[in-house]
Amino acid sequence: MAPLNPYTYIQCPCSDSASLGRPTDLTSPTSADGDEDNTFDPRAPRANFSLYPLEYLLYCEDCHQIRCPRCIAEEIATYYCPSCLFEVPSSNLKSEGNRCTRSCFQCPICIGPLSVTSIETPPPSSTLLSPDHAATPHSTYSLICSYCNWSSTEIGIQFDKPNGIHAQLAKLRNGGASRLTAKERKERRKELSHRGGEAAVAAAAAVAANESSGGQDVDLETQFANLKLFCNSQLADPSAADNGFSSLGDLGFSSPSSLSRIMNLYTGGKLHDPRAKSKLGAMREALAADEGLLESNLNESSLITRLHQSDFLDTASSTQICSQPPNLGEPHLHGASRFNSSLRPVPYLLRTKRSKRCPVCRHIISKPEAKVQTTRFRIRLVAGSYIPSISIRRLNLPGPNGPAAPAILGDLLDPLKPVHFLLTFKNPIFESLKVTLGAPATTPGRFPSKVTVLCPQFDIDANTDVWDEALKDNDRESSSRSRRRAGTESQFQVEVGKIWERGRNWVSIVVEVVPASLKLEAGQDVLKEDEDVLEIPMFVRIEWEVENGGDDATSGPGRDKDQKEKRELAYWCVLGLGRIKQG
Amino acid sequence: MSGLSSGTAAGTTPLPHRSVANIRSPHTSGNTNPSTPSSSSRPIPSSTFGSPSSLRADEDILILELGTRKLQIGFAGDACPRGTVWFTPSQLRRVGDFRDWSSESKSNVDWKTKKVTGEKWWSRDHELWEYDVREVDLGLIGDKVDRALREALTKYMLIDSRPRRMVGVLPSGLPLPMLSAVLDSLFSRFQPPAISLLSSPVALTVGAGVRSSLIVDLGWRETVVTSVYEFREVSTNRSVRGGRLLVEQTHKLLAKHLPENQKKKANDNAGETEDYELSFDECNDITTRMVWCKPHLSSPKAPKSSDGLPTLHEQDESGVAPVESSTDTSKTVRIPLLSCRSPTTIELPWEALAEPSENTFFDSQYTESSFDDHELPLPLLVYRSLLQLPLDVRALCMSRIIFTGGCTNVLGLRGRIFGEVSKLVEERGWDGVQGKGADQMRANPKLKGKRGSRPANSGPSGVDSPSEGASGQEQDGVWHDAANTAHDECPVEEQLKRGQDKRPRVQGKMRAIESVGAWSGASLIAHLKAAPVSTVEREAWLQYGAVGASKPSEVDQKSARQSFGPGGLMRGSAASNSWTLGVWGMN
Repeated sequence: MAPLNPYTYIQCPCSDSASLGRPTDLTSPTSADGDEDNTFDPRAPRANFSLYPLEYLLYCEDCHQIRCPRCIAEEIATYYCPSCLFEVPSSNLKSEGNRCTRSCFQCPICIGPLSVTSIETPPPSSTLLSPDHAATPHSTYSLICSYCNWSSTEIGIQFDKPNGIHAQLAKLRNGGASRLTAKERKERRKELSHRGGEAAVAAAAAVAANESSGGQDVDLETQFANLKLFCNSQLADPSAADNGFSSLGDLGFSSPSSLSRIMNLYTGGKLHDPRAKSKLGAMREALAADEGLLESNLNESSLITRLHQSDFLDTASSTQICSQPPNLGEPHLHGASRFNSSLRPVPYLLRTKRSKRCPVCRHIISKPEAKVQTTRFRIRLVAGSYIPSISIRRLNLPGPNGPAAPAILGDLLDPLKPVHFLLTFKNPIFESLKVTLGAPATTPGRFPSKVTVLCPQFDIDANTDVWDEALKDNDRESSSRSRRRAGTESQFQVEVGKIWERGRNWVSIVVEVVPASLKLEAGQDVLKEDEDVLEIPMFVRIEWEVENGGDDATSGPGRDKDQKEKRELAYWCVLGLGRIKQG
Repeated sequence: MSGLSSGTAAGTTPLPHRSVANIRSPHTSGNTNPSTPSSSSRPIPSSTFGSPSSLRADEDILILELGTRKLQIGFAGDACPRGTVWFTPSQLRRVGDFRDWSSESKSNVDWKTKKVTGEKWWSRDHELWEYDVREVDLGLIGDKVDRALREALTKYMLIDSRPRRMVGVLPSGLPLPMLSAVLDSLFSRFQPPAISLLSSPVALTVGAGVRSSLIVDLGWRETVVTSVYEFREVSTNRSVRGGRLLVEQTHKLLAKHLPENQKKKANDNAGETEDYELSFDECNDITTRMVWCKPHLSSPKAPKSSDGLPTLHEQDESGVAPVESSTDTSKTVRIPLLSCRSPTTIELPWEALAEPSENTFFDSQYTESSFDDHELPLPLLVYRSLLQLPLDVRALCMSRIIFTGGCTNVLGLRGRIFGEVSKLVEERGWDGVQGKGADQMRANPKLKGKRGSRPANSGPSGVDSPSEGASGQEQDGVWHDAANTAHDECPVEEQLKRGQDKRPRVQGKMRAIESVGAWSGASLIAHLKAAPVSTVEREAWLQYGAVGASKPSEVDQKSARQSFGPGGLMRGSAASNSWTLGVWGMN
């Protein structure tokens, strides 16, 4: 069993109201505990979606509220490729897609970066020194993974030029056959239509038939383009104006189009009254490959034979297939996509730098430098500098029989034996904090452990300048020392209502826990994942006072400027203390 | 749903829409807590997010397809989705929990391989929803959708969080509470001004370029056969034989071949445990990689046995198998396994890898009468779906069969289903009555004349020419007839016909066609600015929820029809006050 580092998760208050608004009777029976409906249950499956480590949280200074990734509005500062670090203009994104269009590719087998390597067509050794060697036209290039040695020649793809790989790859199918890209096809069509007349249409159809070679070879992109073209032409037909896709919308029987359709269906001999029919079928269906209709090839016996002859490792794993970008250049693959030979180099997904705003007051709470290469932020209001951090340490008190054993990180907790944990709250702000803690007496879940917070209410001094502290007379320091010393003298006696230790801007308190026994009764289900972890939900409420600045007169028009404004923040957090020993 | 009709009446007094109980019985909820304003439970007031500075990115419409196992998203007009997010257990973890990356987590799947009563832990975390809404946590579904969509938006779409219109492509069998949960999550978290809904069978039909089709969705949870006629769903049949069952059958096969010392709890209580030996991921992976399906060989010389089909099929296979793999019948496949006790490699005969699909989709060793309605073998399911369609609809649908869904990746499966359905049609015609009595009656010359007088019955022709596609001819006959009548010359007709294509529509014969997919079909629909099945405005939803929807039949079609002109987009139908939930709000 993996050792467990004690951890702290904080629930963003934004999800609070949402979860309370839900009906509880439909959730799992564990969370429907009637009167205890306000206690946050870290084991509930939904809790995982609202808990964040402190480092993931931001803080809005104007609303005085924690902001989690779910309650933040984002704006994009820069798009860039993580491989070549080139900035991509946002206009390209719409047209070129979300992947790097230069020569950055990932290996489809592992995820290593691919590099362009020239394939040496062995030149006669005598010509090596001759000047025309440099201009030899025969060298081709391939993408090679330096980690797993995969090469694009394995899927039959070679390139003529070492640059612009993305564009070259778009024109190649696996196996090396070339294909027309969407742009080229459009141009060709335009050319044909410029010649004008019916002949052009026929010619276009012929071309389409040619390139599709019997309708089986039409790739996805072409089929979609054909469909789009066909639908557009059908909808552009004036007689079709009222009856294109309109039947998508009206489901009732009262609409005129429905009525006419029904009348058409059930008027016996006049079923095919041409006038009615022409109106009915104003938008006809696609009839040929150049209109987007594609008959499927159901005979897959050749593929089965291929699978029969291939090894398990010749097929791509599901993760490899999932990381493939949609392959528009191939016809419907269906089962054929399982072979390694159908994998393609994966162009890097572009990434973004985002600035974040508070959704309520629209103030920016995080803004990165626009330059791709820098990792700095112009503005970044992390929650860690506004709310106290909590660190957890196991406290081993010397028992009645002998000295304490040193606490080992990740030690398993003995069931039904009281243990003490030291929670250290550190104040990051320049005001002194008043902290109130609340924790349920027993942890929720199938195995309730008893929890006692020995000192649920205390003050933390302000995070003053370190030098202030040093320059001042060592009053306070000595007092904190004395506190520690006092502890030593009283044999580490844990006292209820007293803090354990205090420093310049931190306070430690003791929590006593009696871990539950994990013995399963007959008929009970097995332990689920992490059910042996002792997690205690704790409601933290902090209060502090700030100088009421004169700038926001709206908040307190009648008040003195000297009067201090009281602020408070309250949230649930989850403390993971350790694993309980099983059996 | 009976409650929906009163939903419009309740429009004046907003009802709390959050709880599903209220959707079910709006009468009682309205009486018990009429004072609860619906906005009290809203996490963030709508006005704050709709702040003036938020520019609407009007031109991009997001298309969002939700399935049981994955979410696909992209812009309208694109040929394929930009990103696909699979629902995985790692998505259910807390942010900052990186244990999936540590090597130890792989071994710690013990609790998942257990079959916990009532809960399918094995595959549950890989799915978004279970259609059984009795035990489902709707909030959790909302959270899952939220997280998956967030990942898709940041990783693949690379867009900011300005509100955008969305088009949701959903399976038409989605229960209303789930739809409500999904819409809740989308509206409250992403602030789209409106969400349009499209059902995936219709989108698939558009994506194939036809107006009518028979969609055979070999999905994960179940197989759904939907017939679409003129862009509307006419009938639906389903069977639990889907991808999940296939993976479980694969697991069974692998577990059978696992050496004894690799089994986890072999000696605890032998035979009784239904625990899984291997992890879901591994079985899923092996299923997608190696499982295949024996092809269907049409055997015209097979005698028509009187006591039904199943025995016939078995004969087929026993005859087929040696022919198919005559090259190397004894070939074995070595499959490495990692999630059993210690990594091992097992050897399977090649033939055995066809067993899972055989058992999952066909189960041909059992007689037809032994299947329940929810577990019909697929050929029978497709045949029955066709059978129950009206004659003309059937004629169109049978020549526009679209196979879709994840299980189409099983090599040979589509061909096998198609072949068997064709065979069923050949043998039985379009006569729903089967069995000895029916056969005798058909063979009885005395009754023949009487039966022949019934026009819609194709039984007699089946007797006369048992080897031919009797029904197909019948269909052809009807339609040829119809075509012949249209030969009168008329100037108006000529004019009307000019724009028309004179090529006849293919009908009455079995044919399978390819669709670009539900997502792409929806993309096409949105791109062409067609009116969607239903559009839900954000304000209306937040105020009333699902009870605010009116029944499709109640919508004033005149006001809705005005929007069908060019540029109507989704704005038009929103202009009318009433909105519907389309097929989802029908019952």
